[in-house]
Amino acid sequence: MIEAVKNKLVDELEKIVGSEYVSTNRADLYIYSYDLTPAETNWPDIVVLPESLEELKAVIGLANKEKIPVIPYVAGGNIGGLAIPLEGGIILDLKRMNRIIEVSETDMYAVVEPGVTFGQIKAYLEKHHPTLRYTYAFSPPATGVMTNALVQGLDNLSFRYGDASHWVSGLEVLLPTGELVKIGSCAASKTWQSISPFPETDGLFLGWQGATGVITKMAVSLWPNPPHNTAITYMAMDMESANEIFQAIIRTRIPDDLIGTSFALNKVGMAAYAHEKASLHPAVHRLPDEPEFVITAEITGNTENELNAKVEAMGEAVTDRCKGSKYTGPDTIPSTTAAFPMQALGVLSSGGGLMWVGTYGPMSRWLETAKKGCELQDKYDISRTCYTRIMNEGHFVGLRWMLPYDKGDPELVQRINDLCAEQLDLVLETGYIPYKTPVWAVRRLEELAGSDWLKLHRRVKTTLDPNNIMNPGRWGKPGE
Amino acid sequence: MVLDELKEWLYGCSHCGTCKNVLDIFTPTCPAGEKYRLESYYPSGKMLIARGIVNGVFDLDEDIMDRIYACTGCLSCEQQCGIYHHQHIFDTVQALRTEAVTRGTLNPAYMIMVESLKKDDNVFGKPKAERGDWAEDMGIKNAAQEKADVAYHAGCMLSFDPELWEIPRSAISLLKGAGVDVGIMGAEESCCGGHAYEIGYMGEFTKYAEHFIETFNSLGVSRVVTSCSDGHSTFRKLYPRVGIDAKFGVMHMVEYLDQLIKDKKLNFTKKVPMKVTYHDPCHLGRHLGDDGVYEPPRDVLKSVPGIELVEMERNRANAWCCGAGAGVSQANPDLALWTANERLKEAKETGATALVTSCPWCERNFKDAVKEYGEDIEIYDIAEIAQKAL
Repeated sequence: MIEAVKNKLVDELEKIVGSEYVSTNRADLYIYSYDLTPAETNWPDIVVLPESLEELKAVIGLANKEKIPVIPYVAGGNIGGLAIPLEGGIILDLKRMNRIIEVSETDMYAVVEPGVTFGQIKAYLEKHHPTLRYTYAFSPPATGVMTNALVQGLDNLSFRYGDASHWVSGLEVLLPTGELVKIGSCAASKTWQSISPFPETDGLFLGWQGATGVITKMAVSLWPNPPHNTAITYMAMDMESANEIFQAIIRTRIPDDLIGTSFALNKVGMAAYAHEKASLHPAVHRLPDEPEFVITAEITGNTENELNAKVEAMGEAVTDRCKGSKYTGPDTIPSTTAAFPMQALGVLSSGGGLMWVGTYGPMSRWLETAKKGCELQDKYDISRTCYTRIMNEGHFVGLRWMLPYDKGDPELVQRINDLCAEQLDLVLETGYIPYKTPVWAVRRLEELAGSDWLKLHRRVKTTLDPNNIMNPGRWGKPGE
Repeated sequence: MVLDELKEWLYGCSHCGTCKNVLDIFTPTCPAGEKYRLESYYPSGKMLIARGIVNGVFDLDEDIMDRIYACTGCLSCEQQCGIYHHQHIFDTVQALRTEAVTRGTLNPAYMIMVESLKKDDNVFGKPKAERGDWAEDMGIKNAAQEKADVAYHAGCMLSFDPELWEIPRSAISLLKGAGVDVGIMGAEESCCGGHAYEIGYMGEFTKYAEHFIETFNSLGVSRVVTSCSDGHSTFRKLYPRVGIDAKFGVMHMVEYLDQLIKDKKLNFTKKVPMKVTYHDPCHLGRHLGDDGVYEPPRDVLKSVPGIELVEMERNRANAWCCGAGAGVSQANPDLALWTANERLKEAKETGATALVTSCPWCERNFKDAVKEYGEDIEIYDIAEIAQKAL
């Protein structure tokens, strides 16, 4: 950005939000120039922290008038490089807009501002609405509730309800052109209970990585918080057995959450819980008598009897289906919800980096995809770190290979990048679609989706954001 | 510690933000981050600043200095972070400060402190000869000249702030009341050097550490007792780094008080009808790691007839800082007082009419915050409360 233009912008922004909430200091800009992933660094020109809708409107109005890129930011923990400013511009750090505006006990939703975090909403509900709960992502507590839904994250109620965008029941969106639009029942009433029966224009914003507007309020569904819970584990000795166990549990529709991880990931993660550095390379392998894959089902009940009956029914389903499979279990462990807020520790303790090819895909091709992905990890002498979460009662599945790494080790970074490139080829071939899609994968998906799809997306982007200021270079319009 | 020694920790931080809030209750931990809100003021931001400087991405400029000196050294971030580098976050801040001192990029606010240390062995620019004035007319042994079993170390803040003199005077009354053979060093007492360490002046720190240990070794006291939590943690955690064996024990006044009460050497007879909340000083808690002194002050307060003790939401190892630490009260009074007032608001929410603590730096800052912001609450040191009950 030309210095004179930047200085003029800074003057204007300082008038809007106050000089203490505008920075061009290189230390501030550096922090936003990269994230946990090895994505290429790109520096913003200015960081701005608005506190109110009025301030936000003024910032966006100014940016649109001057055609300056704007990148909304809350915690930067998306593992997709999504908040790295590809074309410079303004980082719109929304952490000061962090009010929980409303919780409807009866209609079971919360209306939140962009800066509200998982930790914040959990503490708020426990204090003020203990019979309700939100779902918690496999991420640190400082990550954003709204951003998780916006990027279609997977959470610990995803087996029951799908990805996080599915439980959005209302939006308020500031368009780059200045209009403020409510979407869902809130557009025509005082309550935010559902998007339907309006046309589902929430799809113009959810999954778009901030490329079409700034969501200023979001209503998310809350759920009853059953008083009884447990977690049941199965240890599969091979991936075929893991697949059978998954299939058996899916058809019961019993768990709230159903996940599986490579046993080797757990072995590596043990170091993290002893506050030691964990390393995937050289690979840690399971011993012959150790399992290949650990499956955990989270189960809740309104009564102890209900909980026990669910556990029993699920156990019977696995026994019936998996007669020829090699596994141990079921074993009971404390509810995985108890691990929050430190559940991500194991993958954040390797030296500041975390990368994955994270995907959503069909359960029908899970076995071959998961196996091949692990074999690619063997090829690169990286520990097997497959992590999978069954979504929406088995209608699709989240699949990724967690790759925590040391950002200060260039050889390892290259190894991780090369592995990811091969894993991306693999998943695209088996019908798995990268979520929280890094820009390099966006371009690959655009090629696969075809020209009519591309025309539609560009038309949407251009209509909503005619000056291409919102997180430019990502969905809808590549960098120029 | 210097930046070169940080390489092992430099890439530990993934900027996950877990350090920003108390685990489980998700209330803020970092005074600088919460006041300024830019990422660079949070602990993770400071880790990334260190990375940027070591890798030559940018240099120490005035704005960056503001950030690295806007840290109260409260260690609340280290309490929350679970990553392998978690006990080295303030080491990193301190190394950045040492780097600034080494490069001659001095923070002007500290020049008075450093000059005063060199000239008068205290951080306030006060004449060394006035150091023992607080004890005038108390008839206390001079431990430098007369053998005493216990030496009471007042520290810079209590020695030179007349508004706080009631604290060491109460402490001495309590010790005498318990029959302790106690003396003070008076004008011969020196700064502990803890603040010099925290703002990056390693040479000054080492000088005071060596002087302190050698002095008390030669005097043959069995124990040094202090009411200053900063001083106490400096003795306990930093002095071992200079590698000289101390032949005496070190106790904070509140620990000693608790022991004297439990040994029935002290007996409280008067009622002190007050509803109070206790503020855990960072240097008496998190700075001591597993040896954090959390229960003794509470036990002392519970032993005072009439005292009703109520807890703030953030307590013990999760206590919010008073804001005065690591040189912030000298260099950035706005941050120091804002931080203190956040704590006073939390204290008021408990329904307490008084906040009790056991560190003069905390007490001074809280008193100043009351003056600045007008929160209606009284501030006491625990010795002052105990003295009322004698």
